[in-house]
Amino acid sequence: MIALGGIRKLHLDPTKPPVLDGISLKIAQGETCGLCGPGASGKSLLLKIICGLVRPESGTVEVAGADLFDSTADELRKVQSQIGYLFQNNALFDSMTVFENVAFPLRQRARLQHESIEEAALAERVGEALRGVGLATHIEKMPSQLSGGQRKRVALARAVVARPPLLIYDEPTAGLDPVTTAKVYDLLAAERELMQSTTLIVSSDLDALRRFASRMLMIYRGTLCYDGPAAEMADSPNPVVRQFVRGELEGPL
Amino acid sequence: MTRALLALGTVVLSLCREIGGMALLGCYTLFELIRGRCDGRELVRNLYKMGVVSVPIVSLTALFTGGTMVIQSGIFVQRFQAYGLLGWGTGYAVLREVGPILIGLMFSGRVGANNAADLGSMVVTEQVDGLRALAIEPIPFLIVPRVLAMILAMFCLLVLGDAVAIAGGMVFGKLLLGVDFASFYASFVDAIKLWDLTVGLLKGTFFALMIALTSCHYGLAVKGGAVGVGHAVNDAVVAAALLIMVSDDIWTMVLR
Repeated sequence: MIALGGIRKLHLDPTKPPVLDGISLKIAQGETCGLCGPGASGKSLLLKIICGLVRPESGTVEVAGADLFDSTADELRKVQSQIGYLFQNNALFDSMTVFENVAFPLRQRARLQHESIEEAALAERVGEALRGVGLATHIEKMPSQLSGGQRKRVALARAVVARPPLLIYDEPTAGLDPVTTAKVYDLLAAERELMQSTTLIVSSDLDALRRFASRMLMIYRGTLCYDGPAAEMADSPNPVVRQFVRGELEGPL
Repeated sequence: MTRALLALGTVVLSLCREIGGMALLGCYTLFELIRGRCDGRELVRNLYKMGVVSVPIVSLTALFTGGTMVIQSGIFVQRFQAYGLLGWGTGYAVLREVGPILIGLMFSGRVGANNAADLGSMVVTEQVDGLRALAIEPIPFLIVPRVLAMILAMFCLLVLGDAVAIAGGMVFGKLLLGVDFASFYASFVDAIKLWDLTVGLLKGTFFALMIALTSCHYGLAVKGGAVGVGHAVNDAVVAAALLIMVSDDIWTMVLR
């Protein structure tokens, strides 16, 4: 589903080392991967590269069989329409209601496929997605009228409403209380079960992430320092990984 | 000497970057506009937000602008008993110069600043990335409707503002100088040509384009969160005011 080859992305400040320096990995269809690493290690940047939003200086990005940076604008749009992306800041459109926000990917997909979509069918799909996140009664509200947790859940509904084969979640539980965090992970698990999608998730909540993902990836100083089973991450021979997982003060980090 | 040259070089490079950025944005916008790619819903929403909502403030500014023209010229009108020229003086100044500049600056402060802040917030909260992730290009969806809405709104507001300013001049002329409406109107109609109105509208439309390009450029280039949004708004308003004043001189020389 995803194949990265030698991804290199330079820092904006040329005196600093590259943010990503030769990242290569493959993620199979249906796999769930957790991506972690210290702050500002390039996790969100890597997600944006996979989605075709940021172009790396070198390397190849293949998603759903298409080389993202060697394709036409139409091909890129076609691949992007197969990705559901939950942004760290939710990225809900301020000028649209909750309903319009969640309906947006469906309208866009129909437009890209030159199809028309019945308003009744659209309302049904949006209602279903919002019922899934427990916000079916909030459809007429604007994003500014929602709490942080509700905005996150609307963003989740928008990411999954078109049932994309690839789901990317960037910090889906950042800033949420433990109960809402548990609810969000339940929703993510339910969506994964329902759609059998490939899932790539970045989170600072390492315990929850290791419970959710079967495979873990860790970025440190621009390179992939861990790529293996989530259960074995704490026992990695790499002291950086061990210290990061155990949260120890002493160590190379 | 080296430091001075370095500073000069930095300023020139920064200026080129900003002007180049705006020119590129203008070209992309024009290209998409020619291809007919403009989101209709966004256009209508922006026309309301930028045009309809600006009507009260523009009308109020224009009313008092007309009054100011009469107050300023009142001393000379009385001294030379030139009551019959008040309509011409107010109309000429409002239509050709004061109307486009004052309404342009007011439009920049209200609509341009708001637009830069709006786009800047969309950048820092990843809404622009969100659009691109949904395979939507930001230029036809966000920029073309805004540029078009600003030009159309400014044109309409200028027509309205000119009318209100001249009406304001009439009212203040009657109240302060005792010039009756018929005399003011006759002086206005006799001396003012359609070309005077056209010059003002051409200038105003060009100012709207400058306001649109500066606010969109600085809004999209925001970096550094909320502080960056503040800087973008400031830069957009300053750049638009500067471009309005400089281009006004050029237009005035060209369209004499």
